Amino acid sequence: MNALRPETSQSYFAASPSRVPVAVWPWPIALGLLTTFGLLSALLGQHGIWLALSWAALSIPLIVTVTCLIRAWRRPSSKGGLS
Amino acid sequence: MTTRTLRRWFVVHKWTSLVCTLFLLVVCVTGLPLLFSEQIWDTFVGDDDPPYEVLPPGTPNASLDVIVEKARALYPGQIITNVSPDDDEPAVLISMAPSWQALKDDENYPDRNSGHWIKFDARTAKVLEQSRPADAPKEPRTWTGIIMGICNRLHTSLFAGLTGRLFLGAMGGVFVASLISGTVLYGRFMKRLPFGSVRRDRASRLTWLDLHNLLGAATLIWATVVGFTGLVNELQTPLFGLWRVTDVRQILRPYANLPVPSQDHLSSVQAAFDTAAKVAPGNEVTGLSFPGASFGSPVHYVLWTRGATPLRARLFTPVLVDARTGELTGAYPMPWYLRFLEISRPLHFGDYGGMPLKILWALLDVVVIGVLVSGLVLWAGKRKIATDARLRALGYDLDDAEGAPVSALTGEGAR
Repeated sequence: MNALRPETSQSYFAASPSRVPVAVWPWPIALGLLTTFGLLSALLGQHGIWLALSWAALSIPLIVTVTCLIRAWRRPSSKGGLS
Repeated sequence: MTTRTLRRWFVVHKWTSLVCTLFLLVVCVTGLPLLFSEQIWDTFVGDDDPPYEVLPPGTPNASLDVIVEKARALYPGQIITNVSPDDDEPAVLISMAPSWQALKDDENYPDRNSGHWIKFDARTAKVLEQSRPADAPKEPRTWTGIIMGICNRLHTSLFAGLTGRLFLGAMGGVFVASLISGTVLYGRFMKRLPFGSVRRDRASRLTWLDLHNLLGAATLIWATVVGFTGLVNELQTPLFGLWRVTDVRQILRPYANLPVPSQDHLSSVQAAFDTAAKVAPGNEVTGLSFPGASFGSPVHYVLWTRGATPLRARLFTPVLVDARTGELTGAYPMPWYLRFLEISRPLHFGDYGGMPLKILWALLDVVVIGVLVSGLVLWAGKRKIATDARLRALGYDLDDAEGAPVSALTGEGAR
């Protein structure tokens, strides 16, 4: 999570290209695996614990999305990302 | 990745998305009520089934032969087309018609339906309910029926029958292409941004771009699975057709030219059910079609059995029983492409994990609508920028200075 930055938008743009590249894929891959697990566990298990695991796994991408949105809208000057 | 390749991916993403977005919006929106159609019917129309007699638990079912005889006695001279035990109520549905020819003729008259049904209590063999006679005044359609009907037709075929189905199937394919190209672009755009960033202190275009990326990344796999299985579902008519002209024709060849025997001289229906249950152990028998049905053999009962385990519950295996002798002819598992279709169905409908799964399905669907809308906004914004640039080049003085620098920033390799 980035701390609040006091810079103006101009200096921010200037700083942007030199910032360290971040790992792009861990989050999407994790969410994708969770989704896959959630879709299959209910289909193959279809009972008790497998259903519950499926619901949990499929909720996580939604929860992550909502969390990111809330962070972004609460602190308009930060970027609201997860890191 | 060179700028050139990136530009190509961008073009692929832009055009595949533009082609399918409108149709996907229709499908996503109409899918929502369909997802909850059972609940909607129950709430607004209610269950019109008659109450069942309370019998001591373990009361055995009546023989299907008794039920079939009763149905014949009610409509002497007519034929029985199907016998379908209900899968969650103690009822058996008997479908009848004046003749096979009458049913075939119905296909030429969309308003005519000479088939009708009788619902029996499976245990007492008493008549519970009958379909409305064809000459009775039509039941007024309920609003629920009209709205759900429209949603269903829009969702599956855009009111265009098989053409519409194949078209929507193609849109499903285009959607998958757009998701793949979108994933490639995501990798490029997110290089310097932590996951989930939504820049709100910059141009609104960046907010939309970040939203598009966040919502898209979160639902990528779900959208791919539902899009692809939707495509497979739209192919069901040609796939079943393929099966009929290949395997089914092969199996039925020796019988194809035999006459359909009169229904008075057929072997026992109950025995046919028992035979089918024995051939496919672990499968349950869900229905029987009489000899002469358009897809079947002139001399066989076709029994539909399906797996009892969750994964196989949608895998149907037809069993043929010779209706003249009552002997088993064989069980014919479906080819791989139809098995694949059957597995695709639950993954598209989201109806295999109870109410919570349906709710999650609906929420994910709403997020995908968000991806579509933000994508449209980005595209429309880009068009506005291009238009503004042209107007400026023509000497018009435009007030908002927002467009130009943003396009330079977010349009990296975009055009």
